[in-house]
Amino acid sequence: MSSCTTTLVFLFLFFCIRLFLAVFSYTRIRLASANPRPSQTCSIAIFLGSGGHTSEALKLVSALDFDRYSPRTYIVSEGDTFSAQKALALEHIKAADHAFSDDQPQYKLLFIPRARRVHQSLLSTPPDAVRSLLACMRFVSVRPLFTKGAFRQPFVDLLILNGPGTCVILCATIFLNRLIGLPSPRVMYVESFARVKSLSLSGKLLYHFTDRFVVQWPGLVQPGGREIYRGCLV
Amino acid sequence: MLVFVTVGSTRFDALVEASISEPVLSTLRDSGYDRLIIQRGNSVIESSEEFNGDSCTIQRHGVDIEIWRFKPFIQAECEQADLVISHAGSGTILDVLRLGKSLIVVPNPTLLDNHQEELASALQILGHLKATSIQDLASTIASFEPRDLVPFPPFDGTKFSKLVDEEMGFI
Repeated sequence: MSSCTTTLVFLFLFFCIRLFLAVFSYTRIRLASANPRPSQTCSIAIFLGSGGHTSEALKLVSALDFDRYSPRTYIVSEGDTFSAQKALALEHIKAADHAFSDDQPQYKLLFIPRARRVHQSLLSTPPDAVRSLLACMRFVSVRPLFTKGAFRQPFVDLLILNGPGTCVILCATIFLNRLIGLPSPRVMYVESFARVKSLSLSGKLLYHFTDRFVVQWPGLVQPGGREIYRGCLV
Repeated sequence: MLVFVTVGSTRFDALVEASISEPVLSTLRDSGYDRLIIQRGNSVIESSEEFNGDSCTIQRHGVDIEIWRFKPFIQAECEQADLVISHAGSGTILDVLRLGKSLIVVPNPTLLDNHQEELASALQILGHLKATSIQDLASTIASFEPRDLVPFPPFDGTKFSKLVDEEMGFI
């Protein structure tokens, strides 16, 4: 009985320390050696949240150097064909510009269940959110363990989020990874251009849980806050 | 001259109804606009059933009107248009401004979380567009001076790519 209690206390302490480290890690720059990149490329994942969020996210991605930021993973909600098509269209345009040399696919689409549909009743949201969370965990936490170089590489080097709902679940999974000490990507949240004076709900929820928090209007920058403002990015 | 009215894929009955109302059409005609193309999206026009099909053409108060549910290529419509009137969705606003078109936006007051209003007024203060309401649409068109608008800066991808390069240690 007493050994069981001791184990529980140790586990509890372990999680407290991890929690502290995970939260703390957002406030300082992670050491470069913690996540060595094999070459001069950097893998990225982008969450395409549907409609306007998708357009903004893809506009952001289009600004990146596709030779450097490769491979690219587009995370799409199940059934969101609009976003999937838009992502493919962007890749086609970029491929035409660049004429990529190697035969390996430079991008992939990842479908995850929606956390909450528009106008969905609040009562039925939790089961869907759990389903979404489990799917995210599979991609973010479990699958990297069974690939080459496990425990060293996160599922991607950088995750770019632009809202809405489901991206909070995705970020929660990253946070869980940090809690238990699994490798995790850097997380960058870019608030929508539509947000001028106040953050969106996703923005408010993720404010303290992202490595970079970017806004597109100067009015959102608080003195001493962690927001970064570089003008309109989309 | 051509006016293009769009509500994107959203539903904004009041804006579509207003754009085919007598005061707005008369003002458009007096300002030299003789053609009007409307993308009504999911809006419903109550005054006449025939408008609610996929597309229809009518003439009213001296203006030739085409009403579409969805135009397949709204970029083409925007490029032809001399004036665009739209809901205040951020995507539509960016697309139209980047094409260098004169834009009047009408934020949808029925939206619960109404940040459309904020975006419209912020961009109006910067002089990129004119924001108005359903009631004032006709008078706004009458007093509208496209030359007073400030051109919107073109898309600059370097700002974001620099930010990401910094974050990932390339700079």
